[in-house]
Amino acid sequence: MKPDMFYSRGLQLSKIKVFVAAIMAPGFHFDRWFCLFRKSWSDDHTLLISKEKVKPEHLELLVKTEWQLSYVTPLYQFRHTQLKSYSRQLSAFIAAEKQEGLAVEVGGLQNTFKVSFSVLQGLAETSDDPETVLIQVPMFARQEDPPKTVWCGWLSCINGNPEYLQSLPKDFTCLPLFCSKGAEDLSSLVKSWLQRTFDCCFGPLDINQTTLQWLAALWTNCHMETNIQNLKMIWTLPVLPPLQVTYTVDSDDVLDLWRSTRESSAEKSREAEDEVCIDFSEVTRFMQGLMSHFYRHFRVDLSAGELNQVSSALGSAKVNGKIKISSSRYLISIFSLLTECALLKMPI
Amino acid sequence: MATQLNLSDSDSSDLSDQSVFTRRSNRSLRIAEQERRKKEEEDPFVLALKYFSEVEAGTPATGNDELENNLVRVEKVAFSRGLSPEAISVMLDFAMSLRMGSSPCARVLKCLLPASVVPQEAVVRAIVWLTVRKLPISTQVLFMKWVLTVFDMIDAKDKLRAIYGFIFSFVTDENLCPFICHLLYLLTRKENVRVFRVRKLLEQQSKLGRQPYLLYLLSLYKVFCPELVTLSIPSRMKSGFKNHISPWKSALIAVQKRNDMQVASSISLAFAVRDKTASRKRKHAHLDLPSLNPVTIKEPQAAQSSSRKLVPMQQIQSFAQLLQNMHRIELPAQMGSLLGSSLALQYLDCVQDESALLRLNFWLGYTLHEEFLFCSDGGANKNPEEALQFLNRLLSVQHFLQEGFNSSDAFMYKFLNVWDGSLLRPQILGLLSNIPVIPSSQIKTLLFDPLMQLFFTSSLFFKCGLIECLNHMLLKWLTWHSAYALEDDLDISLNSHTSINITLSGFKDSVMELVHFVGRLASVGLQLEDCHSLLLSFILDFYETVCDTFLKFGLPLVVMPPPGVFYPAFFAADPVSVDRLAFIMHRYKVNLTSAKRQEKVTEGFHISRQTFREFNRYQVFLVNCLWNSNMCYPEADVRLSDELLAKSGVPQFSTRFDLIHHPAFVSYALDFHHKCWPGRKDTDLNSIKQSKPWNWYLEYLFTQGFDGLKDFVQNSINQRVMMAGDGCDNVTQSQKLGSAPHIKQPLLS
Repeated sequence: MKPDMFYSRGLQLSKIKVFVAAIMAPGFHFDRWFCLFRKSWSDDHTLLISKEKVKPEHLELLVKTEWQLSYVTPLYQFRHTQLKSYSRQLSAFIAAEKQEGLAVEVGGLQNTFKVSFSVLQGLAETSDDPETVLIQVPMFARQEDPPKTVWCGWLSCINGNPEYLQSLPKDFTCLPLFCSKGAEDLSSLVKSWLQRTFDCCFGPLDINQTTLQWLAALWTNCHMETNIQNLKMIWTLPVLPPLQVTYTVDSDDVLDLWRSTRESSAEKSREAEDEVCIDFSEVTRFMQGLMSHFYRHFRVDLSAGELNQVSSALGSAKVNGKIKISSSRYLISIFSLLTECALLKMPI
Repeated sequence: MATQLNLSDSDSSDLSDQSVFTRRSNRSLRIAEQERRKKEEEDPFVLALKYFSEVEAGTPATGNDELENNLVRVEKVAFSRGLSPEAISVMLDFAMSLRMGSSPCARVLKCLLPASVVPQEAVVRAIVWLTVRKLPISTQVLFMKWVLTVFDMIDAKDKLRAIYGFIFSFVTDENLCPFICHLLYLLTRKENVRVFRVRKLLEQQSKLGRQPYLLYLLSLYKVFCPELVTLSIPSRMKSGFKNHISPWKSALIAVQKRNDMQVASSISLAFAVRDKTASRKRKHAHLDLPSLNPVTIKEPQAAQSSSRKLVPMQQIQSFAQLLQNMHRIELPAQMGSLLGSSLALQYLDCVQDESALLRLNFWLGYTLHEEFLFCSDGGANKNPEEALQFLNRLLSVQHFLQEGFNSSDAFMYKFLNVWDGSLLRPQILGLLSNIPVIPSSQIKTLLFDPLMQLFFTSSLFFKCGLIECLNHMLLKWLTWHSAYALEDDLDISLNSHTSINITLSGFKDSVMELVHFVGRLASVGLQLEDCHSLLLSFILDFYETVCDTFLKFGLPLVVMPPPGVFYPAFFAADPVSVDRLAFIMHRYKVNLTSAKRQEKVTEGFHISRQTFREFNRYQVFLVNCLWNSNMCYPEADVRLSDELLAKSGVPQFSTRFDLIHHPAFVSYALDFHHKCWPGRKDTDLNSIKQSKPWNWYLEYLFTQGFDGLKDFVQNSINQRVMMAGDGCDNVTQSQKLGSAPHIKQPLLS
């Protein structure tokens, strides 16, 4: 007989619980991102090494493509060694879904339609990060040589919170960031297969205001090394009819503004000179500078609106979770940032 | 094989009986059967059967009157009583062996109505006859239809399963294929699913096109071996095989009714393989439970040895099956699907698999977050009906399991910050009350801050609901404690089998925080709502739980209500509240007394002195007001300046809250007065205070159902003093009983 009461399951989720609590603490976000900046900017070695680690054809694939972002809960019983079997399964699954009412033998399509599963090496940054997995789907029911990829997506975890990653039992693989491009129906087929196979869940990952502002600051900072041409921001203002403001700033001017924001704070923390530390307050001040400039000229207060899009020669990011990165140079830092955003969406 | 069956020869018939009835060989039945048979030796029906079993191969059928007569006899019996297993065996054998050609075949098949069961040997033999291939196609189909119709009446299926491969070979026959697929569907076991069979079926599929029967059989194969085959059943395809239309159905039901048999659930075909791919109705269907699908990719090492024995959850159809297979059930691919089936929940209750629960928690947390927090497609506001159903399901699952889920708790902590207090209120409050003990360091930020805001900005009904919910929460915490605390080691972690490793003192802190929090809410709430009696009632419910923490739940903690609750309850105009307050005070007293006794025995057991002091203060106040008619005693908490009281013009203000004048009881006092002195014109309530009427008045009140008051008076008022009052009728009771010593000894020494 069971007493009429509630007790919790025999789970040892204490670590995960800590993480939940941490997410809810307001300072959590920024501390993490600040570390990340420091890592990728001050320590170019890491960056260069990872660039070398990633195969050139993979790099080519990753950049200059607009990715649609999703977050994924940890995958159950995912094995990097089983990719061949996954490839057979997913090929059969897509084939069966494409031709409803026709059963398909798993592994029976080797020659006609083959989804490729591969490890995209070199993106994982720490030993806790599982390797990135790349999925490519060719055109169905058309035999081309070589088969043309019509859909592509990858699951990754770059600089994931080690505390969270270590708290998961070993049956789980945490690849929280899912980027895809290609037809919507294929995306949902692949997602639904992954969901069924690894008991995970997919949710849309939007790039929120804060992240967009970070990206604006990050790209501006890059102008010191690479020409970013312009910093373009698109705002929407809640007026009737809705007003869309496209705000483009010359790269040199915006870098000046960023430097002046940095200088004032750099004085404050002189002792930490050897490390490039960026505080979220600096980003906020930078954005305020941009907004007040706009206000002075047009008498429109952008802070009342929403930042929807940020772009520069290095890439573009939209609030609805679409991101395009044009230079491989800052790939790792941006995807670390997005991994962080995805981890923040984890339900437990 | 067929020649063995000879009805006239009792020995060999016995033999055949044995082979036919291996399963249900019931000796006494058999003997009775034989006796009956002897009696019916001359029965024309028996003779007819004898004819069919003995007739020589090659005997012409056309113009054969003997055949005709015998057939009519069999038909007559078949359609009235049904055929016995032996008769079925004989007739089936006769028909399928084509001893008299194929012409009487269909006619014989049509009258094969079993009275009880069909011997599986007969079916196996008949299937073997099929290979002879001399039967016309229509007869073959008719036979298959017959097998499918009587499938549930076949006495055992083991031999049929043994010739699975043999039956399978018929799928290449275009005409028989639909029926063979159906039969295979009914017979398939996990070990029957093999790559070569899958390939054969797929070959048939490419030959015959998209045939539902192939698809259904393959979908069953997919359930057992998803690593071999995959498919998607179009939504427009109707479920189930369409082979039901058979010439026997109505006749069979009639026979069964006549035989007083329970009508066999004719061809029950649990068709559960259907799975819907991402529902096309909504773009993001978070709230749809995933369907129960087996795991596709098996652990490589496990795949070889153990997975053959595993039973997919989907195959479990009854509780008995669940019990049988408890040790080898394979969890579904998506744990979320367990919430959809009560059988699966039974299983979940026993699973102690951390990964399985974590998977479930990920899914549940994701669903709740997407629907209520991230709201990517409008969320709960857009589909309140679905959200309601989902939460109700979740609640009933939690109720069933008698525990919450980590993920729904984590969700609640976040959701409380954005909740408006009205969206799906009963469900949210229900989930809230299932939250397990929170360490006192976190309880404020996680729970109290958001709830405080909601409480003070919401309606009376929300306030009542929240207090009720917190009462449930407290009850669950206390029950949890009483079930898991180890009595001997008071300060040791409650139990290792729960994840809440909280020390007893930590638990006490949390409970105390919760009780104090509700005390604060209640005090302010009562002020805000003008001491609404509904709210007061919920608050008193809460304190009925609180006052018994020690005796009922074994928690060495007693927390008194704050003055903001005690006084409004005492001054309430309805007698029920005052009565309940008296009951609560009584229980406090009982708890404190026994706690004090415990303190002397157990070392380290300690109840704060402050609690005793508070209790004494309330107790003195109660006795002074209700009993001694002396509200304005020097140490009282509630004090008004004498001038102000004089200004109010209330005569004898100090007696206004005794048992007679208290607004809650004054009507009872009046009623009592009428009953006591029916003749009196002028009402003088003070006359009740004389000792005899006073005792009668108390009796009267107790008969009105004021049990709380009764307990309180009988345990807290010194009876001796009442007796002492007996002799001095002239002196008012209030003077007589005017001071604190008349309370039984104060508890605090």
